[in-house]
Amino acid sequence: MTPKVGIIANPISARDIRRVVASANSVQIADRANIVQRALAALSACGIEEAVMMPERGGIASHLLRSMERSSNQGEARFPRLGFLDMKVTGTVEDTRTAARMMASAGDVAAIIVLGGDGTHRAVVSECGAVPIAGISTGTNNAFPEHREPTITGLATGLAAMGRVPPEIAFAANKKIEVSIDGGAPEIALVDVAVVTDRFIGARALWRPETFRELYVAFADPEVIGMAAIAGLVEPVTRAEAGGLAVTLAPAGQGAMEVRAPIAPGLIETIGLESWRRMPAGTVHRPSLAAGSIALDGERELFFDPHQDVAITLIDRAFRTVDVSAVMRFAARQKLLVGGLTAARPLENAHS
Amino acid sequence: MTNNPFPLSRDQLLAAYRTMRTIRDFEERLHVEFAKGDIPGFVHLYAGEEACAAGIMMHLTDIDRIASTHRGHGHCIAKGVDVHEMMGEIYGKSTGACRGKGGSMHIADLSKGMMGANGILGAGAPLICGAGLAAKFRGDGGVGITFFGDGASNQGTVLESMNLAAIWNLPVIFVVENNGYAESTSVEYATAVDSYVDRAAGFGLPGVTVDGTDFFAVYEAAGEIVRRAREGGGPALLECKTVRFFGHFEGDAQTYKAKGENDFNRANRDCLKIFASRVTAAGVVSEAEIALVDREVASLIDAAVESAKGAPLPTPRELLTDVYVAY
Repeated sequence: MTPKVGIIANPISARDIRRVVASANSVQIADRANIVQRALAALSACGIEEAVMMPERGGIASHLLRSMERSSNQGEARFPRLGFLDMKVTGTVEDTRTAARMMASAGDVAAIIVLGGDGTHRAVVSECGAVPIAGISTGTNNAFPEHREPTITGLATGLAAMGRVPPEIAFAANKKIEVSIDGGAPEIALVDVAVVTDRFIGARALWRPETFRELYVAFADPEVIGMAAIAGLVEPVTRAEAGGLAVTLAPAGQGAMEVRAPIAPGLIETIGLESWRRMPAGTVHRPSLAAGSIALDGERELFFDPHQDVAITLIDRAFRTVDVSAVMRFAARQKLLVGGLTAARPLENAHS
Repeated sequence: MTNNPFPLSRDQLLAAYRTMRTIRDFEERLHVEFAKGDIPGFVHLYAGEEACAAGIMMHLTDIDRIASTHRGHGHCIAKGVDVHEMMGEIYGKSTGACRGKGGSMHIADLSKGMMGANGILGAGAPLICGAGLAAKFRGDGGVGITFFGDGASNQGTVLESMNLAAIWNLPVIFVVENNGYAESTSVEYATAVDSYVDRAAGFGLPGVTVDGTDFFAVYEAAGEIVRRAREGGGPALLECKTVRFFGHFEGDAQTYKAKGENDFNRANRDCLKIFASRVTAAGVVSEAEIALVDREVASLIDAAVESAKGAPLPTPRELLTDVYVAY
């Protein structure tokens, strides 16, 4: 019996207001099913015999099963056995959390492939414990999941899950940021925590710079979009290095300087900045804004009043991801996917 | 710093609550009155979906047109149609908004931009393209909004209208009120393209999905979509995921729903309770002010029912009057 790989595919990511206030795309349900199918084929190629998936009512599973049936009718058997978790489907983020929790507690799930944006990955990480995840971007900003062909993510996950790559190469440690209000159970962010003046959740997304006040990022990559892009353009911080960055923002024209940052797909806005500083792990930060809302990975999730205490803390080495690049480089070096009846060798003087 | 954390003033919040409470009480009362047998025809109740109508219509004025559905009472009330005239129309009386000749599924009031409820599924979509084209030619900044359900979304008229709105770049908004059921058929079974946003994307329209039980989510998303349409940004689709507390029609046994589903939705997904609890917890609106609105609306509905019951029926001489109306 080979290890199982879990699949959590969010059918409702990339549906928010950023389709209108920005130029965000929406990955269609049939495309999401196709992505899962490509990942499954890759898992099978690595020897994974069984996968378990989160059930949902958004249509991914029905498209996928129809497609797999057609493939089976044609005599193809290039997918692992696919089962679905026995859980109640609510159509909310609770489904993602429940699925991650069940996969973590099952004991035989070696890794979880996640389809979604930053919010979906955040929900999985909140419950997946020590089980590593492999992200595939089907959300809006997708700052956390790297952009890559899902087949490659599937291959790397399959090789890592099968134990064909040493764990110290196969898996990378990641940071997260915890937000606690009045000492309550912390919510987490994988990329950024933004403090904004809005005091309601509403349409969740952030797109009005005049409301931005503070920003805390686990990593600051100038190649990503979203709130983390603001930090990435002033002082990049990699995913691998310890600590993050804390940035004090201001409405455009009122800060000490300004940065033009891509805060959503196709939406480049002028953001006022007061200052920024490194954010060491384990140090508690408290917003200076008296009341507002807190956006986790770009979506307003919490609001706080003047009498409430908000604690923001970065945690190093908080969870693991499949290091797809490292796995595939190792696979190439070790010829893990190379076979043949006769010994092959590189051509010499290929250009002669 | 203001003590109001919401994007609406206290008076606007109370107005939004009044609209939703009026719709709810109107529908709850019709549920009771219809069972008595005094109301001709069918009624399809909107209870549970109030945040959709209220959150969208707060961005509109009388120059903006809406094309409604068979489940149109909520749209009418939120668009400003007189409640007495609506009740009279539903009772088929000469005091009705259409002089008693339309009934529940044909209430219209052009002075309010309400082009009519509609008994034909998906028929509002092409109508609103006409209204959108007129607004575009007039250049008055008006927008058109058509409402339809998850069932009507499969009608060819809706799809053709999305295409038309896209190629003519009309100030038109397609609102899917997705309550999970096309009459009695689950949306998961009946729709091959499982996301309405996907369907809009097929025509190059942006689509947004919001929690239709959260007034503020609907309000904020609708505000951006309406603003975009007014400014010439073109058509868009808004999907409101919502619930309906009653059956498809009055008398529907609702055997297709899970046991306890309505009770769960009333306890956990009631948009009025969610709204009232947020605005009172924030201290912007008091519980006493909410209670006062409740009492005033209850009186309004009582009076509307009483006057509708006592009003005369249209006479045979009026059979052919008001049948053809020049827009």
